[in-house]
Amino acid sequence: MAHVLVTHSDEPIGRRVVKTLVHDEDVESILALGSGTPPRAFDRFLSGNPPKLSYVRIDMAKHRPVSDFFHSSRFREASIDTLIYVPQHGVSDGASLPMVAGLPPRTAEARLVLQNCLEASSIRSVIALGSAFVYRLQPGNANRLDEESELDLDPEVQPEVRSWIDSDMLFHSEIGNQRIRVVLLRAPTVVATGGFIYMNPWLSGSPGLRLRPLGFDPLCALVSDKDVAKAIQSAVHTEHPGIFNVAGAQAIPLSVLGRWTGRPSLSVPRGFLRAASSASHWLGADTPRTRDCPQLRYGFTLDTTRAERELGFRPQYQIGLSRAGDGGLRLETSPA
Amino acid sequence: MTEQIPRLLLDADPDEELVTVQRGDKNVALVRDPFDLGDSTDNFVEHLERLGFEPLPEPARPRPRERERPRPHIAGAPPRRKHSRTPNLAEVELPAPAGLIDRLLGPDERKRLVALQELVSRGAPYDRFGFSPEVTRNVFPLFYALYRFYFRVKSQGHENLPKEGAAILAGNHGGLLPFDGAMGIIDILMHTDPPRLLRTIVDRWAGSLPWVNVFYARVGQIVGTRENFNELLADGQFVLVFPEGMDGITKNVTQRYRVQPFRVGFIEHALRTQTPIVPMAFLGSDDQAPILYDMKPLAKRLGLPMLPITPTFPWFGPAGLLPYPVSYKIVYGEPLHFHERFGPEGADDSRLVRYLAKQVRRSVQLLIDRNR
Repeated sequence: MAHVLVTHSDEPIGRRVVKTLVHDEDVESILALGSGTPPRAFDRFLSGNPPKLSYVRIDMAKHRPVSDFFHSSRFREASIDTLIYVPQHGVSDGASLPMVAGLPPRTAEARLVLQNCLEASSIRSVIALGSAFVYRLQPGNANRLDEESELDLDPEVQPEVRSWIDSDMLFHSEIGNQRIRVVLLRAPTVVATGGFIYMNPWLSGSPGLRLRPLGFDPLCALVSDKDVAKAIQSAVHTEHPGIFNVAGAQAIPLSVLGRWTGRPSLSVPRGFLRAASSASHWLGADTPRTRDCPQLRYGFTLDTTRAERELGFRPQYQIGLSRAGDGGLRLETSPA
Repeated sequence: MTEQIPRLLLDADPDEELVTVQRGDKNVALVRDPFDLGDSTDNFVEHLERLGFEPLPEPARPRPRERERPRPHIAGAPPRRKHSRTPNLAEVELPAPAGLIDRLLGPDERKRLVALQELVSRGAPYDRFGFSPEVTRNVFPLFYALYRFYFRVKSQGHENLPKEGAAILAGNHGGLLPFDGAMGIIDILMHTDPPRLLRTIVDRWAGSLPWVNVFYARVGQIVGTRENFNELLADGQFVLVFPEGMDGITKNVTQRYRVQPFRVGFIEHALRTQTPIVPMAFLGSDDQAPILYDMKPLAKRLGLPMLPITPTFPWFGPAGLLPYPVSYKIVYGEPLHFHERFGPEGADDSRLVRYLAKQVRRSVQLLIDRNR
């Protein structure tokens, strides 16, 4: 029976993970962390006797609160043996957010969490959710990538991808740890119910028109948030450490994905895009709308063979358009 | 009538294989091995014999696990599809013709295009490499017209293609623009039942070209990376490689129909994935745009792989790059099952891999020489 801690459980992916684990009979207790008030979806889980789920409000990017929490009696009493690190989403404009100890918030947070996990003697497993946008993309509309594919260590990489790579490498460095089992799941663009998408550096942020290079329309790998939660659940119950790609069976071009999610794109010559990108950077308004990056030219899909073999992961949800209550078409997930 | 192509035996003396070559009714004597570039092939043969007659080393055993780990099971997970395969033509239900494209094509062609829909799962618009049956259907009439009326393609040796499962087709490359690959795709689609989509491995440079990269992906062509190659073979697809690479299409008119040195990556994949190699010859591609001179220094400055001078380019502008209406012939040779003799371990032996690549190159050259 596992005692699990989930970070950022007040955000969509974390919330989905908690909801999946609450219904798992092999999970005895869940300690959910979040920076805001507990989501209303947790109300019925928090009111059990004794409650399977408890919620703690904490700012995960700051050293003192995190350190205090990991040394608190509440953490000790919970006897946490598995930590699920769900990163904060909504930090798309990484450059505009204040740095924490000289690091982007996501990197600082990953470092703090990992450091405290290594010091906490009760923790035996760390399961981290990372992004598949860490891979270096070769020219081509769709590249199949496996876990051995090269990471994009180009110094010119955009800040958000850089923070994903940094936190990825932090967890990667502890995969050989003898005491703690570290599992790193790399997910592509995550699609949640209601047409919301997460973890895509270009489509994150507010809806609206975006620019992309003329003549390119890369293929985007997709995964449902429910499949991500299932993959994390599988990782909790197996003993395999390592890196695993987690993705759904479907992939669609970036232009179609943008159109379906209220972020239509305009193809412009590459020179124009570079000029727009430089101008917006110079004006201090660096947004995904005008960025020029390899992800806008070259696409990828993920080879999930290793996750299937060792975690038993298989995507169970398909992604497509369906008519919502207001009559509009929205990106939705449904059982395959 | 299909011509039987003699299979090259690895044990035989390679020189003997090439001393007498049949061209039509005539026997043409070759003085020496045209691929003998000075290095001694005897060493390779000895090396092969040593490998072939001695027992292969025991495969490395997996490390014993400290304890049995529980196997996770996800309830309700859909079964994984083994191979993406198309239905037999007899099983395809032809919808009522709708639109101009359906009227342009006959029922057989339409059935084959409908069968390709099965390559994408559950009616999704694209497969994992960006292949779109819809886009393929839209551009098919143009390429089929080129196949039938412009290049007047004739082909033979289809019985050498495996009925099911993966195969690597290795062919010669020529003619500036890759119409040979396009004709190969149409030929295989039109001569296989169930219809097979040939996935051509294209150069990375093509993947960086605007529009071209999207078009290639939508009609099922793939940029040649290790992961892409492995995935296609694991999925049981036919994969066409041009192991000459850019050297094939940039070769001078004096080198036409002389197969250039082969890259070896496809041999490693064939051995590791236990896939047969089918040698394949394209006749006609080297005549579609004969290169008189390649201005390499200028091409390098412009960031282009080549800057050719042909009888029509650059004199007629970009239109000068278009191929001449030459007659094409496509010949498939007997499959080479290297993996049966050398196993996956052979992929780690660089000398063996080089030698096998040379053998495939010989097979392709032989197909060309016999059918010109």
